[in-house]
Amino acid sequence: MKLKMLAIAGGLLAATALSTAGAKADVKIGLLGGVSGPIAAMAPAMIDAAQLAISQVNDQGGILDGETLVGVVGDSACNPQGGTDAATKAVNIEGVTAIVGPHCSGAVLAAAGSVTVPAGVTMVTPSGTSPEITGLDDNGMVFRTVPSDDYQGRALARTLREQGYEKVAVAYINNDYGTGLANAFKGEFEAQGGQIAGFAAHEDGKASYRSNLADLSSGGADTLVIFDYGDGTGLTILRQALENGFFERFVGGDGMKSDAVINELGTENLADYFASSPVGEASNALDTFNAAFTAVGGDPDAIFVTTSYDAAFMLALAIEKAGGDKAKVAESLREISNGEGEAILPGEWAKAKKLIDEGKAIDYKGAAGDHNFDVNGDVPGTFALFEVGAEGYEVVTNMK
Amino acid sequence: MELYGLLNYALFMGVFIGIYALLALGLNIQWGFAGLFNAGIAGFFAVGAYTSAILTSAAAEGRIGGFELPVIVGWFGAMGAAALIAWPIGKICLRFRSDYLAIATIGIAEIIRLVIKSEAELTNSARGITGLPRPFGDLDYMASQAAYLGIVLVVLAIAYVLVERQFNAPWGRMMRAIRDNEDAARAMGKNIEYRRLEAFIFGAALMGLGGALFAHFNRSITPEAIDPMVATFLVWIMLILGGSGNNRGAILGAAVVWIIWSVSEIATDQLPHEYAVKAKYIRLFLIGLLLQLVLRFRPEGILPEPLRGDLRHTKEGNRS
Repeated sequence: MKLKMLAIAGGLLAATALSTAGAKADVKIGLLGGVSGPIAAMAPAMIDAAQLAISQVNDQGGILDGETLVGVVGDSACNPQGGTDAATKAVNIEGVTAIVGPHCSGAVLAAAGSVTVPAGVTMVTPSGTSPEITGLDDNGMVFRTVPSDDYQGRALARTLREQGYEKVAVAYINNDYGTGLANAFKGEFEAQGGQIAGFAAHEDGKASYRSNLADLSSGGADTLVIFDYGDGTGLTILRQALENGFFERFVGGDGMKSDAVINELGTENLADYFASSPVGEASNALDTFNAAFTAVGGDPDAIFVTTSYDAAFMLALAIEKAGGDKAKVAESLREISNGEGEAILPGEWAKAKKLIDEGKAIDYKGAAGDHNFDVNGDVPGTFALFEVGAEGYEVVTNMK
Repeated sequence: MELYGLLNYALFMGVFIGIYALLALGLNIQWGFAGLFNAGIAGFFAVGAYTSAILTSAAAEGRIGGFELPVIVGWFGAMGAAALIAWPIGKICLRFRSDYLAIATIGIAEIIRLVIKSEAELTNSARGITGLPRPFGDLDYMASQAAYLGIVLVVLAIAYVLVERQFNAPWGRMMRAIRDNEDAARAMGKNIEYRRLEAFIFGAALMGLGGALFAHFNRSITPEAIDPMVATFLVWIMLILGGSGNNRGAILGAAVVWIIWSVSEIATDQLPHEYAVKAKYIRLFLIGLLLQLVLRFRPEGILPEPLRGDLRHTKEGNRS
């Protein structure tokens, strides 16, 4: 048995050695995602979106001197153990030039701390929303195409205050997403003179949240703000709050802007329901992406697909700009999307490559926003408040 | 370049194997020698990781901390805290036997996880603690990894020697006697409850140390790390496969399982592109299959528990 084990391990190692020998001319980027683990349902669509960017690059003449861009998929399993393992393999075995991912904030923090920052590899996460990533000591190598929960929470708080909301209760799912949003929202809402009459975390997957809701409504708020997922626990909470008449109005974060809410509860019951969500600023960028992603069989409404696509496409642009030099990718990433130069829309690789080769400045306008990174590698994001109309979600107002 | 990458990957695997070996050693004290079915490894792992993180990290708004003690203090603190948590848990739960104890410890680990996820003042709740110091973290990538691997190996060696000595001492014999025949041991005048508690606490302290090493290696600790799949059941598979009751087996099991876990992904990457995502699930299946095969064909593990002392001669005599 011992020998067998060694033989198996040896065989796997041999497979590794063989695999690393070939494909010298390719430029690789790592696509690390939570393929297994708690976000397994979301990860494949996100990886497909990133692969779309890569195939567009290759269809339009490839990267650098006509080389092929290859996406190496790694399973970060949505935890630090998996994240660091996948990142180490991507950096050392596959020799990637840059990394899209990992998907979950804990994996991002660990992979940055132990692998990518020491190794000097630029990382762009499409879905790590934890505010902790902002303050990471990362030599400017960690970016994200999704806004920190801080931004959205604050923007939503300001918008609600502008619209005259005085007293609200907040229910949030107890993970980094819900906690980050809720705390940012609470701080800003109170700073703007509003009152938080109830503030409680809940665990997901329970059958009933009526006692939580009763507690929250006992503070006298008429509006419930929910930071949760609209196809999961958030739906349960919203349904039970509606059934029992705990609150009059409901406001959700981006996770709640799910079609599942409309399908399950019906438009007629959602007259007093609003949801905030990031929107692409130049909307023809989003349309371009939607058309392209639909054409390859993807669902453009799936969560985080736009940010995943943008992360991959921008890294490709940055690698082109940096001439394939790993150390310059981070710097180039800022240059290709700093608001100056000719606008590049999703999929316009050939045009962008030509401009870069001519030494002209370009400015990528992404499907999920303009992505002008700040000093921490964060994007401010643009958000809008949506209501439920006959055609699904419709914009009420842009949030600042 | 290729070699440099492979070496870096090997160093990284070495660190992880060392950390998991510590967890497996801790479990070996509990299960291998005292017969305590602890399914809450993740809980003690988390207590250790967070204790060390709080003791050594810089001050942050909204949570206790800012002690900025040396890392070594954090590690001893981690062992102490895990042991301290284990004491009342053991006091209450160790009255249960085998499967009941497993259920109780799963529950305890889940409680610890939820407390860590919820107590913003203590652990910064779901956001986790970042910016932990890493010994030799300022060196360049490979040197830093190599130095950390050195530390992990030294810690593991010390733990191994101490545990091994303990097992060969009268204490070890007594623990095995309690495990194999509790009534007989009780008739000999052994204080069963107290001894079981001892083993539980020692094991928990090692698990806490493993957690601390893990947190500092990643420079961060988040509740996502307390996933029972990677922090409890993977350790169980390592110990069962390596050979429970054998310290070298525990370490070997950690190495074999982690190598298969990690390297199998590279193998599945060789599949065509359209299967790249699907192939990832094969790894989970592979680990499960491995455990099934080991339990079916070699339940004692790769390195079975050694027979000690006079018993060895009689057993070998019987066999021939």
